[in-house]
Amino acid sequence: MGTLKLAVFLAYKSIFKGNRWSLLLILMVMSLSFANLLLTPSILSGVTDAIDRQRIDTTYGNIVIDPQHNEYSIARTRDIEEAVRRVPGVTGVSSRLTSSALFEYEWKLKDRPEDKGKSGTWRVVGIDPIHESEVTTIHRHIFDGTDLEPSDRDKILLGIEIAGGERSETAPFQTLQGARVGDTVRLTFPNGVQREYEIKGLFRARDIAVADHTAFVTRSEMASVLGRDVYSDRAHQMVVRLGDSGLEARAVEEIRALGFPVEVRTWHDYSGALSGVVSSFDIVASLISGIGLVVAGIVMFIVIYINVLHSRRHIGILRAIGIGRGAIIGSYLAQALFYSTLGIVVGGLLFGFGIQEYFARYPLDLAIGQVSLVLQPGTVVNAITGLVAAGIFAGLVPVLHITRQGIIHAIWGK
Amino acid sequence: MIEVRNLHKVYGRGPAATPALKGIALSVEQGEFVAIMGRSGSGKSTLLHILGLLDSPTQGEFRIQGTDMLRLSDTDEARYRLEEFGYVFQEFSLLPGMSVLENVYVPALGLGRNNGFKKRATELLRTVGLVDRMKHDPTELSGGEQQRAAVARALINRPKILFADEPTASLDLASARVVLDLFRRLNNELKLTIIMVTHEPDDAQYVDRVIWLKDGLIADDGPTASK
Ligand SMILES: Nc1ncnc2c1ncn2[C@@H]1O[C@H](COP(=O)(O)OP(=O)(O)OP(=O)(O)O)[C@@H](O)[C@H]1O
Ligand SMILES: [Mg+2]
Repeated sequence: MGTLKLAVFLAYKSIFKGNRWSLLLILMVMSLSFANLLLTPSILSGVTDAIDRQRIDTTYGNIVIDPQHNEYSIARTRDIEEAVRRVPGVTGVSSRLTSSALFEYEWKLKDRPEDKGKSGTWRVVGIDPIHESEVTTIHRHIFDGTDLEPSDRDKILLGIEIAGGERSETAPFQTLQGARVGDTVRLTFPNGVQREYEIKGLFRARDIAVADHTAFVTRSEMASVLGRDVYSDRAHQMVVRLGDSGLEARAVEEIRALGFPVEVRTWHDYSGALSGVVSSFDIVASLISGIGLVVAGIVMFIVIYINVLHSRRHIGILRAIGIGRGAIIGSYLAQALFYSTLGIVVGGLLFGFGIQEYFARYPLDLAIGQVSLVLQPGTVVNAITGLVAAGIFAGLVPVLHITRQGIIHAIWGK
Repeated sequence: MIEVRNLHKVYGRGPAATPALKGIALSVEQGEFVAIMGRSGSGKSTLLHILGLLDSPTQGEFRIQGTDMLRLSDTDEARYRLEEFGYVFQEFSLLPGMSVLENVYVPALGLGRNNGFKKRATELLRTVGLVDRMKHDPTELSGGEQQRAAVARALINRPKILFADEPTASLDLASARVVLDLFRRLNNELKLTIIMVTHEPDDAQYVDRVIWLKDGLIADDGPTASK
C-alpha cells in the first residue's frame, strides 16, 4: 500500500512539476499517434463501407429474391410483391427481367457489316421505373436526359460505361464511344429479337463494377422481348429495400416464412466475388493499421525513453535514500499509464470532433463514390490496447535498465 | 557496531583496472563521529559508498551489529538505506519538482506508515533553520540551505548512521560551519553515529576521530585533540 502511494506521489510530481515542454511533446506524440491509429483503419473501412453501400444502393437493395435453383424465373411476382411489401421494415420491392444483348451504335456508318464498329455486349434489365426507384438509386444518378416512365417502350437508360464518352472510366473501344441522349442504339437479344431504342437518359452511379455497365428498359418492354405470354408476371430477380439495414437477417426470415418457392438472401450472401475483394481489402487494412501501430509505438517509445533516461540521476538518488525498486518502477508505470490515458482522451477528442467531423463535411471523392470515415469498435480497442502497451513498454524498459545499474553509476554516471 | 575487514575495491577490469581500496580494516562504535580524510583519489568516497550500501566491494568483510552486509538481498539493502542510514552527498541531491518539505518526507513515504511524517519533517526543517523555506522548490535555495535540507531528509526516518561525503565542499565558510555544528549537535543529543568524508583539515575539530586514507589503505586512525 505504501509502495503504491509513493509511486503515485512520485509520478504525480514528475508529470506536473517536471519539464512542461516534454510533457507537451509526449502528449502530442501520444494523441496524434492515437488519432492516426484510428484514422487509417477508418478510411479503409470507409472505403469498404462505401463499396457495400454502393452495391445496396445501385444493384441489390438489401435483400435479393431469386428463383429456386432449378428454375429460370420467379412466377406470380405480383402476389410475391404484395406479400413482401407487408413485411415489417420493407420500403420497396422491384421485380426485374434480365437479359444480355448485343448493343450497336452508329452501325449504319460501318464500312463492312463484319466490322465490330461501336458495339458490345451488356446486361439489360427490365424494370418498373417506379418500383425500382423505391429500391435502388439509379434514377438519382441520371446526369443527362430523364428517367424511364412505366409506359415507355422504345426508350433505354444507359450506364455511363456502356455509353462511353468523356466521363467514362472504361477504355473507349470497350464502350459505345460516346452515345448521347436522343441517339439510337440497336439491341440484339440472345433469342434473335432485334430492336432499336432511343437513349432516354445516361446515368453514372459510380459503381464501375456492375451498375454503370447496365442498361435499363421497362419491364413490359423486356417481357415483350422475351415472350409476353410467359413473362408478363414473371421476374428473374426481385430486389427488396429495407428502411434500416440492420434488420436484414430478420426480414429474410420473414420473407422465407411467406412460403413462396424462391431463394431469399441478403445482398451480403449474394455477392460472392465482390465480398472476396472486400475481405482481401480488410486484410490490407489490418496490415496497414498494424504497421501504423508499430510506428506509433516506436515513436512513443523513443519520446518516453528519452524522458526516462533524463531521470537517471533522479532514480539513483531515490534508490540511494532507500526507495525500493517497486515504488520507482511503479511510478514510471503510473506515468506511462497517465500519458497513454491522456493521449487516448485528447487523441480521441481530436479524432471525434476534428477529423471525423471534417470527413463528414468533406467526404473523400473517390472513384467508388463518397467515402467518409467509418470507425469500428475493433479499431478503437486495438488502438487503445496498442497505445497503452507501447506506453508501458516505453516507460518500463529504461527504468528496469536503470534500476539494475549501480546506484553510484545512476547518480554520477561513472 | 560497524566491522570492516580486508576490504578491497577494484574499479574496472583487465589493464584498465584501478585498485581504489587495498585492504581496509576498521570498526566504528555506535555514537562515534568519524571523519575520513586523505588526498584526492585516496579512496574516501569509495569507502563511504561501500559502508553506505551504495556500492559493493570486490572482496572483504563488512558487518553491522553482526549482520553480514555483503549478503543482503536487494530488498534488505534498500531497507537498510531507508531505515538505518541517512545520506548527505557532496553535490546537492534534492529532487527537483518537489518542494523542500516533500523532499524531506519522501523517505517517510517509503516506510509506508502514516506516522505524522509531515509534522516531523516540519520539525526537522525547523531544526536546520529552513522552516520558512519549506514550500520552495530546492532550486530556489542556496547551496548551504540545500545541504541543510538534505540533512533533514537524511534524518526523517531516525537512522542509526549518517553518511556524509564532503557535505561542506561546495559551501562557503559560514554555511559549512552551520552544517558541521548541526552534525555535532545531532551526534551529542541523539547519539547518532556519523561517518563523514572531508578533505578540510579544519573540519577535524568537530569530530571524535579521524581515519586517514592513503592510496587505498588506512595510514592513520585515532582520536582528535578535541576528544
Ligand atoms: N567508477 C570508477 N571507475 C574507475 N575508477 C574509479 C571510479 N571511481 C573512483 N575511481 C578511482 O578510485 C580511486 C579512489 O576514488 P575515490 O572517489 O574514492 O577518491 P576520493 O578519495 O573520494 O577522492 P576525492 O577527494 O577527489 O573525492 C581514484 O583513483 C579514482 O580515480
Ligand atoms: Mg570523493
